[in-house]
Amino acid sequence: MADYEERQSLLGEEDEAARGPGRPMPAICDPNHLLHRIVVLTFMCFLGFGSYFCYDNPAALQTELIQDLNLNTAKFMQLYAWYSWPNVVLCFFGGFLLDRVFGIRLGTIIFSLFVCVGQVIFATGALVNRFWLMEVGRFVFGIGGESLAVAQNTYAVNWFKGKELNLVFGLQLSMARLGSTVNMNIMGWVYSKVGKLVGHPGHTALGASLMIAAVTCLFSLACALVLGLLDRRAEKILNKEQGKTGEVIKLTDVKDFPFTLWLIFIICVCYYVAIFPFIGLGQVFFIEKFGFSPSEARAVNSIVYIISAPASPLLGFMVDRTGRNVVWVMIAVFATLLAHMMLAFTFWNPWIAMSLLGLSYSLLACALWPMVAFVVPEHQLGTAYGFMQSIQNLGLALIAMAAGSILDTRGYLLLEVFFCICICGSLMAVVMLYFVDYLKGGDLNLSAAARAKLQKEATAEAEIKRRPGKTKESEFARLKPMSAFGLRNRYLSRLGAQLPDHCSTHLSSVAHRSVLK
Amino acid sequence: MAAAGKTRSCGAFYFSLFSLLSVFSLSESWFSGEASRRKLSVELNPGWPSPAPPGGDLLHVRAVGDNNTLHFLFCSQGAPTLLLVHTNTSSSTVNVDWTQFLSRNVSGSLKVEPESSVLYSTAVIFSRLWEYDDVNDTAEPTSDLFPPYELQNFTWSRFNLSGPNALLCGATTTFANGSLCLQLSVFDSEGRGPSLPRLLHTANSSQLGVWLDGVLPRATRSRFLLELQAVGGVYPLSRVEVHRSIDDEFTPSIFKVSQWVSSVNGSSDVLGFLQWKPVAYRQSVPALEDATPCRHSDPRPQSGEAVASASGLIRAFYAEPEAFGLNVSFGLAGDPFYNSTKFLSWTVLLGSGSPPVDSFSPLVLAMMAVGLGTPMILLLLGGVCVCVRKRAAASTYEPIN
Repeated sequence: MADYEERQSLLGEEDEAARGPGRPMPAICDPNHLLHRIVVLTFMCFLGFGSYFCYDNPAALQTELIQDLNLNTAKFMQLYAWYSWPNVVLCFFGGFLLDRVFGIRLGTIIFSLFVCVGQVIFATGALVNRFWLMEVGRFVFGIGGESLAVAQNTYAVNWFKGKELNLVFGLQLSMARLGSTVNMNIMGWVYSKVGKLVGHPGHTALGASLMIAAVTCLFSLACALVLGLLDRRAEKILNKEQGKTGEVIKLTDVKDFPFTLWLIFIICVCYYVAIFPFIGLGQVFFIEKFGFSPSEARAVNSIVYIISAPASPLLGFMVDRTGRNVVWVMIAVFATLLAHMMLAFTFWNPWIAMSLLGLSYSLLACALWPMVAFVVPEHQLGTAYGFMQSIQNLGLALIAMAAGSILDTRGYLLLEVFFCICICGSLMAVVMLYFVDYLKGGDLNLSAAARAKLQKEATAEAEIKRRPGKTKESEFARLKPMSAFGLRNRYLSRLGAQLPDHCSTHLSSVAHRSVLK
Repeated sequence: MAAAGKTRSCGAFYFSLFSLLSVFSLSESWFSGEASRRKLSVELNPGWPSPAPPGGDLLHVRAVGDNNTLHFLFCSQGAPTLLLVHTNTSSSTVNVDWTQFLSRNVSGSLKVEPESSVLYSTAVIFSRLWEYDDVNDTAEPTSDLFPPYELQNFTWSRFNLSGPNALLCGATTTFANGSLCLQLSVFDSEGRGPSLPRLLHTANSSQLGVWLDGVLPRATRSRFLLELQAVGGVYPLSRVEVHRSIDDEFTPSIFKVSQWVSSVNGSSDVLGFLQWKPVAYRQSVPALEDATPCRHSDPRPQSGEAVASASGLIRAFYAEPEAFGLNVSFGLAGDPFYNSTKFLSWTVLLGSGSPPVDSFSPLVLAMMAVGLGTPMILLLLGGVCVCVRKRAAASTYEPIN
C-alpha cells in the first residue's frame, strides 16, 4: 500500500511539473485540499506506530525474555534504561538537529532508520542469544524513538497549522496508545505461534518474534519516505517553508529557572519513575501476585494506555475550563499513590487500581505540563521543556535499574513501597508548590476565569510595548511575535489538550514520548 | 498471633487500618522474638556404643525451653524421617533399645520418657521420588510416570553434623554421581533462613532443605515429584491450608504459603504443622530467576503399616501410626525441565504449635511511615505558615483611627 501511494505521489509530482501550477488537480493530489491532507495524516499517524509498538516489546514479552535469555530482572530492566540514556542528551538537541542540520524530511527519515536499525539489532541480539547486542539495539532505538516523536509533531504543525491541528494531535496520541496497546496484547500470541513454527520456545523464537515486530518499524520508515516526498511536492506547489520545531534551547537559562519550576521538575521525575518502570515490570507482577494468566496480565497492564486515550482530551478540557492546576496535580498524585498502595497492600482486583492509575496519569499530564508555561518566560520555554524531559529520562534510566535489582532481592512488596515513596516525593513537591505559589501570589493555581482576565491585561500591555522596539525580537527570529496567551497555548496543545482552533496558530512540536503518553 | 495473621491476609481491612495495625504487628514481632529461646543439645546415635549403627544414623536434637522440651529425631534407617515430640517438662529424655530398633519389627523400641509428659508428636517421611516424562510440557503427572525411586532403598551417607545442622545425602545406582540430599536445621530462637526462600522459623520449628543435585534424568523432559508422608498419633496432619500473603519481601514473587496442619476435630487450634512456600529453585545458589513454582496434591490417608515398614523411626516410636500422604510436584507448564540445570531445591518447616506468620519488616513500615508522614507534616506546616501570614497581613492593614 505504501509503495502504491509512493508511486502515486511521484506520478503526481511529474504531472505537476508538466502541467504547471495553474491547472486544477484532483482533490486527492491537491495539497490545499482536505482529502489530500487526510492521506498525509494517515501516513503521519503510522509514522510513530512502529516506535510505539516496539518500545514496550520487553514488557509484553517479559517472562519469555527472562526465561529464554536466562536474565534476572535487573538485567531485563537494563533494556529500558538503555532506551532512556541517549535521550538524557537528545532532548536538548532533537529540535536543533531537525531545524538546523537535517531538515524535517531528512531528519524524519534518519530517525526512522535509527528506530528500524535499533529494533533489528535488538532482534538479532535475541536470535544469537547475545544480551549486550540487545542493549546496543535498545540504545540505537532510543536515539531514534524520542526524536521521531518530535518530527511527527513538526509535520503535524506544518500541515495542519490553524486548521484541524488539535484533532490531528488527538489522533496521533490515540495512534501512539494504539501501538502500545496492540503490542501488549499481541506479542505473546506472536511468540507462541513462532515458537510452534520453530518447534520449541527459546531465544530463536524470541528473536524471530522481535523481527516480526520490526516489520512495524519498516512500515513506519516507509511512511517517513512517503511523507518526505509528499512534503517536498507540497512545498514546490505551495511555495511554503519546510516545517520547523521552533525550539530554542539555551542551557545558560537553567540558572534563571525559578524555584517553582524546579518543584515542577521534581514532581515530574518522581511521578513518571513510578509509572513507566512499573508498567515494564507489570506483567509478571499480575501473574505472580494475582494469579492472572499471561494474556490477562498483559491486558491489565495495557489498561493504563487504553484509558488515557479517551481520558486525556476530556480531562484536558476539564483542566482548561477550571484552571487550578496545582490542585488537579495534587489530586492526580494522590490518586496514583492510592492506586500503588492498593497494588502493594491488598489483593483487590488490579483492574480497579490500574484504571485509577490510568485516569490519574492522564489527569497529571493535562495539569502538570502546561504549568511550565506559566512560570518561565516565553523565550525559555524550549529550554525548560527540554530540561524537564532530559531529567525525566535520567530518572527513568536510574530508577529502571534500581527497580530491577530491588525486585530481584527484596520482592514486589518492597518494589511497590519504593514506588509509593517516589510518589510521596512527588506529593511533597506538589504540597510545597501549592504553598510557595500561594505565598508568592503566583498564578499557577488561579481559576480559569481569573487567568483569562490576567491574560487579557497582559496581552494589551504586550501590544503597547511591542511597537517601538523590534531589536529584541530579532534575537528570536524564528519565534513569531505573539501574545503570551498564544505562546502558552502553543505548549498546551502539544500535550493533546483540546483548545479552540484559533488559539493554536503557532505551535511547537517538541513533544516527546513522555508527553504524549 | 493467629488473629493477626488473618487480618494480614485480608488485605482490604489492612489497607484501611494500615497505620494502626502496623504498630500492633511491630510490637507483636518484638514480643514473640523475646518470648522463646531454647537450649539445643545434639547427640548422634544416643546410647549406641560403637561409631556407626548398621543401616543408618539416628540424630537426636533436644531443644529445652522454659517449661517444655522439643525432641527432634532424624533418622536414615529406611526412608529419611524427621520426628518431633513435644513434652511439657524440661527434663524429658529419649531412650532407645538398639537391638529392637535395628531389627525394625517391633514398636516401642524408642521412647520419650516420662511418657505422660508427651503432649504431641508428629513425623514427616520422605518416602518416594517420582519422575515423569513431560512430553507435551503440560506439567500434569497423570501418565508417563516412571517407576518411583523408593527412598528406603537408597544408600545413605552418614550424617554430616555442624552444630545443630545435619546433612544427609543418598543415591541409588541409576543416579550417576547425582544425589538426593536433606539438610536439617534446628533453631534456638526465632529467625530466618539465610538463603531463599528465607522461611521464617520460630524456636518451635525445624527446617528441612531437600535438593536433587546432578541426577541423571530418565528422559530429557523429566520433571519430579516428591512424596511426603506425615504421621501422627491421635491427630495426624490431615489438611493443607494455602494462605495468601501480600508480603513477598523475603521470598520475592511468592505470595502464598502452604501449611499442612493437624488439628483437633473441627477446632482451629493447630497442634503441629509442615509449612512451605510453593517455590523450588533450580540453582544451588537460589535467586529469583531460578525459581520454579510447585504444587501439592490433596493429602490422602495412607496405610500406617506401610509407612512403618518404610521407616525404622516410625516403627520404633508409633504403635498405631496414622498417616497421610501427598505429592509435591515441581515446575508448571512452560517452566524449564530438570535437565536444564540438573538441580532442584525445596525447603519445608516442621514444627509444633501454630505455624509462624510473616509480618511486615521494620524497613517497610519505616518507609511507609516516612513517605506518608512527610507530606502530611509539610501540609500542616504550610497551613500554619499561611495562617500566620494572613493574620500578620490583616493586622498591618488595620485602619488607623
